[in-house]
Amino acid sequence: MDQAETAGLAEAGALAGRFEEESSRVADRAAWEDLRLRWVGRKQGIVRTLLARTGEVPAADRRAWGQAVNTLKERVEGRLAELDAVLTEREREAVKRSAAVDVTLPGRRPLVGSLHPITRVNREMERIFAELGYSVAEGPEVETDYHNFEALNFPQDHPARDTQDTLFLKSGFLLRTHTSPVQIRTMLARKPPIRVICPGRVFRNDNDLRHSPMFHQVEGLAVAEGLTVGHLKGTLLAFLRRLFAPDVEIRLRPSFFPFTEPSAEVDVTCQSCKGQGCAVCSGTGWMEILGCGMVDPRVLDECGIDPDRYSGYAFGMGVDRVAMNRYGIANIRLLFDNDERLLRQVHG
Amino acid sequence: MLFSRSWLAAYVDLPDDVRALAGRLTAAGHAVEGIEEKGDDVLLDVEVTTNRPDCMNHLGLAREIAVLYDRPLRLPEIAPAEAAERSADAAAVEIEEEIYCPRFVARVVRGVRVGPSPAWLRDRLLSIGLRPISNVVDVTNFILWEMGQPLHAYDLDRLAGRKLHVRLARRGERLTTLDGVDRALDEQMLVIADDERPVGLAGVMGGLDSEVTDRTRDVLIEGAHFHRKAVRIAAKKLGLHTDASHRFERGADVEACERAVTRAAALLAELAGGTVLAGALDVRGIQAPAWPPRGRLELAKLNGFAGTEIPAGDVERWLTGLGFTLTPAGDPGAPAQTAWDVTVPSWRYYDFQTRHQAPHAVYPQDLYEEVLRVHGLDPIPAALPGIDGSDGPRTPQQALRERVRDFLATCGYAEAVHFAFQSRAADARFPSLQPGTAPQELANPLSEAYAVLRRSLVPNLVESARFNQRRGVPVVRLFEIGRAFFPPAAPNELPVQPEQVGLVCGGRAGFPWQRETELDLFDLKGAVDGLAEELGLRLAARPASLPGLLDGNTAELVRLDRSPAGELVGYFGRVEEEEGYPLFVAEIALDGLAGGDQDLRVDLPSRFPGIDADFTLTHALTTPWAEIDRGIADQAPPDLQAWSLKDRYRGTGVPEGAVNTTITFLYNSRERSLTQEEVNERQSALTAELSRRFGWSV
Repeated sequence: MDQAETAGLAEAGALAGRFEEESSRVADRAAWEDLRLRWVGRKQGIVRTLLARTGEVPAADRRAWGQAVNTLKERVEGRLAELDAVLTEREREAVKRSAAVDVTLPGRRPLVGSLHPITRVNREMERIFAELGYSVAEGPEVETDYHNFEALNFPQDHPARDTQDTLFLKSGFLLRTHTSPVQIRTMLARKPPIRVICPGRVFRNDNDLRHSPMFHQVEGLAVAEGLTVGHLKGTLLAFLRRLFAPDVEIRLRPSFFPFTEPSAEVDVTCQSCKGQGCAVCSGTGWMEILGCGMVDPRVLDECGIDPDRYSGYAFGMGVDRVAMNRYGIANIRLLFDNDERLLRQVHG
Repeated sequence: MLFSRSWLAAYVDLPDDVRALAGRLTAAGHAVEGIEEKGDDVLLDVEVTTNRPDCMNHLGLAREIAVLYDRPLRLPEIAPAEAAERSADAAAVEIEEEIYCPRFVARVVRGVRVGPSPAWLRDRLLSIGLRPISNVVDVTNFILWEMGQPLHAYDLDRLAGRKLHVRLARRGERLTTLDGVDRALDEQMLVIADDERPVGLAGVMGGLDSEVTDRTRDVLIEGAHFHRKAVRIAAKKLGLHTDASHRFERGADVEACERAVTRAAALLAELAGGTVLAGALDVRGIQAPAWPPRGRLELAKLNGFAGTEIPAGDVERWLTGLGFTLTPAGDPGAPAQTAWDVTVPSWRYYDFQTRHQAPHAVYPQDLYEEVLRVHGLDPIPAALPGIDGSDGPRTPQQALRERVRDFLATCGYAEAVHFAFQSRAADARFPSLQPGTAPQELANPLSEAYAVLRRSLVPNLVESARFNQRRGVPVVRLFEIGRAFFPPAAPNELPVQPEQVGLVCGGRAGFPWQRETELDLFDLKGAVDGLAEELGLRLAARPASLPGLLDGNTAELVRLDRSPAGELVGYFGRVEEEEGYPLFVAEIALDGLAGGDQDLRVDLPSRFPGIDADFTLTHALTTPWAEIDRGIADQAPPDLQAWSLKDRYRGTGVPEGAVNTTITFLYNSRERSLTQEEVNERQSALTAELSRRFGWSV
């Protein structure tokens, strides 16, 4: 081996050692880039400079020189690639770290509204009665005396009217005190068989802590041949068990309404105590829930339906109290305050 | 109504368990609402229904108990020792209003010593909360609560002419009633008068002048039957409600008059030492032609009606016990009795109205009710009726209403429910969909705040929005669907009562984290626009000036896709009067939302990509968007699929009086991919035309 050859190989060896030393100090992308430019940069990279000097090397040494420089070049490029992979991985990690969010922050809720408690209960009742084959009948809120009283067998000047606390218009019409006039309108307009429920707003001249001058009723009417008191009971039981719970029982107490006979008040197992007796039901285990009866033959006659051929049953209940029980609203007045803080909590 | 157990026990043997008795009575239609022990006695608080005045006394309720427990009823014995002198010689009665007074019975008892009643009588009255007054008055009260017949005792010497007339009051007549109130009478009031003046309001209250006093020697006891209408008219007009009027208004027993008067006379002789004159003055007016009501009861029909198998023996025993008279009817050869002709007892005449066409005949259902009441409703087995199919589908209006409700709730509005009435001031404050109409006025409103029926849903909604504002609710969004009330279409018809939809919103929704927005008119309008799209109809806003709403922020809504085109269906605007954050309201007639496009099919999106382009038009503020929008529609080049308002800007760089409107356009073809060049070409032509027509020029 001659002198020049030895000197060239020694230089390459020294450079390899220097590269090892420099590359071991690379900690970030900038240092890596510096390292790359210094060693394999196109313009002044050390390896390029060595290659450029190949022409100056005596012909006999060129082969060895070339091999030494190439070895160095491969070594540098390989090491740079390794370092690049490490740095890239580290950079990916850093990006992930900086994009992390606090997943426990509150989500942005879509803007949703709410349906009134009365609407929700009404819809549920309508759904149950639809299952039982009933349609929904409706009528005006300002009514005639005929539809609200006379046709329902409330004679003029009868004390039974006193219990109705009627609100009258100056024009002589009145605000319906129940949705029964819709039953009359239905029977006047149609022939049996009839199965309808009549939901709606009703009005009484009554305004105190427990009463609202406007409230809501759902009434039901079925007229056909062969309907019995047993059918009335069966329908109420089917309805109330779907509305409240499958195991509720009912109790019928005979009562008096001008438009039905026999008439009855219906109690259902108290839903607060499941019949054990509590403050809600005054210890009786029962809640008074609706009034019902067989349609009075005078009412059928008045509507042009032959009471010797057809029979029917009718029932009516307050919607407001059911809604109050369901949503824990203590006072009926709160149903009509329209406080959004209450309304927007109503679900289901 | 209070009943004493020991008093009831005078007429029927009672079960030992008073709670069981209460339960049995309740199950038969006499709801026992309370049980109270009082000394040796127990008081039952019974809610006697308005159709059962015959049970508003102890004998009447005892009769029910006797039937419910199948025990005998003990009626009091009535057999006074009578003097030779006749009542008819001592006094006279004349009924001038024969329809109003079907019967008038009177007896005279001479030589009474008015004083306190004996202990047993005082105790009876005290037990049910009545105050003993004197033996004469106490006897009449006792009879009322024993037999239900209201009685009145007169001091015979103070009756001018010793004669009683049943007549209508005369113009200008007055009467000081027992309660010491001097009352003006009118010609619709039935009175009892002597030869000179009224001495009592028939069936309501006696007069002070002829009252029995310490000095009274001779007493005339009246036990009359007045038609309930006559009693009700006077009681209502004078605002008087007495034990007597309560019973007469519900219907008393026309056949009880004589027994009650005679029993009172006998008791009076016994307790006050008087002499009962012979016979009773018993004058009859005109009986209702329907009396006594009768009907045929067929066992099979009864059981068919009820869904029961009640045996004939029970029917006979129960009805007979209740006082009905049963005569076998139907096939005489039948092995068992299956039908009866039933006559109603006199104390139930008013409860058994007869059929229009048939005098005397009651509906068989009236009789079924009696049997079922005793049988009880709870033992009847429950069943479901077997009617095929269902009654019918929802009406279009019902379906529409529920769609609107659901959509508005989906849009973030909370459903409100308001009263149908409001104050006159509230009514006048806001627009109405039928402007110029007068509100429907209540004759007996609860207060001035509820004086008229609403012509608009908006006043109540604004009031509720304010209520929420005052309670610190930062954002309000409420809607209501309900009826408004307008004058009838023709005289004597019902008011027009259309359903309407009302909306109110305002305030700041969310915090910066939730990307807060301050609600303005276009949040409200967005809900309306969305509703129109949901229902497949076209509404247009037309600037308007409406009461209570801010000019320049108010519009009428007209319907474009239905004839007559341009029909007014609603309005919206900003509430002029402010308190806290501004409020925005809208109201639309529900009917105005009907009849939208029912085609449910969708436009399938193109498979090819679309190209969008923005354009900013500087134009005069006075040029409405609707005009520009229409301009685009008129000039729309092929494949322009959609365009929408992207932004509006006024400020630096925009001339005074102008506004920059940025519109974004989307071009898309169903057949192919469009090239940028062809889109550019079409878009430039369109924007050039828009600039020409609407662009700002000084």
